[in-house]
Amino acid sequence: MKEIVSLVLIAIGAALMLIAGIGLLRMPDLYTRMSAATKATTMGVGSILLAAAVHFSEPAIAARALAVIAFALLTSPVAAHMIGRAAYFTGVPLWKGTVINELRGRYDPRTHALESIRFPELERRLADLQVYRLRVPAESVVIGKTLAEIELRKRYNVTLLAIFRGPHVIANPEGDVQLLAGDELILIGSHERLREAVDLIYQSS
Amino acid sequence: MSLEMMAFPGALTILSLAMALAFIRLMRGPSLPDRVIALDLIATLAVGMIVLYAMAIDQPVLLDVALALALLSFLGTVAFARYLERSHRP
Repeated sequence: MKEIVSLVLIAIGAALMLIAGIGLLRMPDLYTRMSAATKATTMGVGSILLAAAVHFSEPAIAARALAVIAFALLTSPVAAHMIGRAAYFTGVPLWKGTVINELRGRYDPRTHALESIRFPELERRLADLQVYRLRVPAESVVIGKTLAEIELRKRYNVTLLAIFRGPHVIANPEGDVQLLAGDELILIGSHERLREAVDLIYQSS
Repeated sequence: MSLEMMAFPGALTILSLAMALAFIRLMRGPSLPDRVIALDLIATLAVGMIVLYAMAIDQPVLLDVALALALLSFLGTVAFARYLERSHRP
């Protein structure tokens, strides 16, 4: 019985670590690679150490194995967070298929301090309104269309506050502005209607 | 030869394969953080290997080595991250 448990744990651990290796090699950008590697290794080392605790089945050794597991669970997210943060600040590019980048434009490039562009006061008073930020995907049906043609306000009662286009910000855009792939839109509206507008923008042509 | 004893070579082979994959990422990069996470994964895989080996030769004292290596690899990764973030001034 003891052998079977430890055998199964070893198999799970080895499989997870292999997945981590494959993920690290095959994922398209640093952040997804990190996601694959850290999750699988934490669980992988965890199950192999559990196998060791079962295998030796002595309280002192099992305690030591559990201490290493606790240590891995504590440190692995911290290390991943620090590397991810450093990579983001030093400009390691995101995968071109990335849909949401909530950090964009929200940190001071010199002090590395983050700030939110939420509108807590506004959102508290207008409880059913939300502010959304999303990127126009490469194949979207709205690409090349003007805002007047898309009629976000008329069809969804959703207002477009601003467009982030590369280094530029088009605030309060006019009806003749055309949407391009990669534009980031700041939308305000009710939750349900926003979802409908987002569905339209995510529709591929 | 118990069933468990036969599992160790197999598991060690799988871990070696994962380590080879991580090593390819270490060489390819392309960015420094990519290499840092590849090194981190290699250290984690080494911890797994040491624990497997400790079971295979029935030497629980090797678990301390695994703990020390895990600690060192964490400190190394954190140091790399600090250095990366500080060395970058736009």
